[in-house]
Amino acid sequence: MEVIHPVILYVAVALGAIGVGLSLPRRGVNPQAIGAVIAASAGGLVILLLSLHTSRSGEGLPNPFFYVFSVIALGASLRMITHPRPVYAALFFIMTIISSAGLYLILAAEFMAFALIIVYAGAILITYLFVIMMATQSPTLEQNESLQDYDTTSREPIAATLAGFVLLAVLTSMLFTGLTSLPAPSGQSIEPGLLVELPGKVERAMRRAGALPPGASVATDDAGRMLLDPAAGTVTISTAAGGREVVELPAGLGVGNVERVGMSLLGDYPGLIEIAGIILLMAMLGAIVLARRKVMADDEDRAAMAAKIARRGTGGGL
Amino acid sequence: MTALLAQSALPAAMGSGVLAHYLFVSVVMFAIGVIGFLTRRNLIIMFLCTELMFQAAGIALVAFSRYHLNMDGQTFVIFVLTVAAAEAAMALALVVLLFRRSESLDAEGWSEMRG
Repeated sequence: MEVIHPVILYVAVALGAIGVGLSLPRRGVNPQAIGAVIAASAGGLVILLLSLHTSRSGEGLPNPFFYVFSVIALGASLRMITHPRPVYAALFFIMTIISSAGLYLILAAEFMAFALIIVYAGAILITYLFVIMMATQSPTLEQNESLQDYDTTSREPIAATLAGFVLLAVLTSMLFTGLTSLPAPSGQSIEPGLLVELPGKVERAMRRAGALPPGASVATDDAGRMLLDPAAGTVTISTAAGGREVVELPAGLGVGNVERVGMSLLGDYPGLIEIAGIILLMAMLGAIVLARRKVMADDEDRAAMAAKIARRGTGGGL
Repeated sequence: MTALLAQSALPAAMGSGVLAHYLFVSVVMFAIGVIGFLTRRNLIIMFLCTELMFQAAGIALVAFSRYHLNMDGQTFVIFVLTVAAAEAAMALALVVLLFRRSESLDAEGWSEMRG
């Protein structure tokens, strides 16, 4: 069964292209609001048809907040590429980031949602804002409008919109035709025995639930592994008297998102973390080398500078 | 306390139709990023648009991670964040350098550079 009829899909993509093309900044007549409405209705049409198909096939709809966050994310990103003022564009990008973090939360990726807000909205975008404010010319006296010419006009709006939306048409038609042949989710890759790797967590949870008698601790075998049976939900503890006892795990004890991401990151891809660290170090060095201002000083300047430093050194108390 | 522990249950499986919603949002966001990169003439906004494309890739990764109940997608978002941070540092250093040379952020001003 087809998800969306290709003709309807291409009409929607073309409508979106017209809308985005109209809302790009240009001189003179600027029908930005009309363009945004056209683009939003085209996107809404596709989402509506998709939701109708999904509810007909009995899968259930996505979380209602999906619609809220995706509308905010796409609207803010459209406004970001159409706003003539760079500072506002950066702020709209922060809005996109925060609503994508909302989408991550719906997708049960809590750690990534907060990492996204901290790293992107907190660090990267602040750097962008610093550079925008540093690299903006102040308006001259006769020029009361501080907008720059290169911000208010776009380069090749029609060709670029066409290119972008041909890409979008190809991607969406691939997406909607390939959807039916997607392998079903297996869920096999998260083994239930991940809890075995976390003896500290099990012991803390059991202490909090009062399941450990005083003096007892979680028992381990010779290799230092916990004797935990995830299927039965039991764990072996060693009591204060030295004996061993099989007790039930506290209810609700399991592995959370942060632990799963941590296991995957450090257990499956330890080499990639090292490479990521080296990339960040190289980027830092490169940024320092590139942005360093070379002071071209001749002998006279150097002598003047030395004299200035010498004066400060002898004259000042500090 | 029990509420804190209860959040650890695996999320329920997600159907391919629901996955398509997220992928559609991701694809549209990527296309908006491409259009912005091609049309804007301000160097800083052009680099912001590449960040938007990274963001779109991240949504697709996390959606597939949720669909397959597999953590690899989320782990790769961390590396996307790393690359984005490195790219931002280098790109902004370049922008500052170019701004000092020409006193303008116009990308057209550098169109005579040919490799």
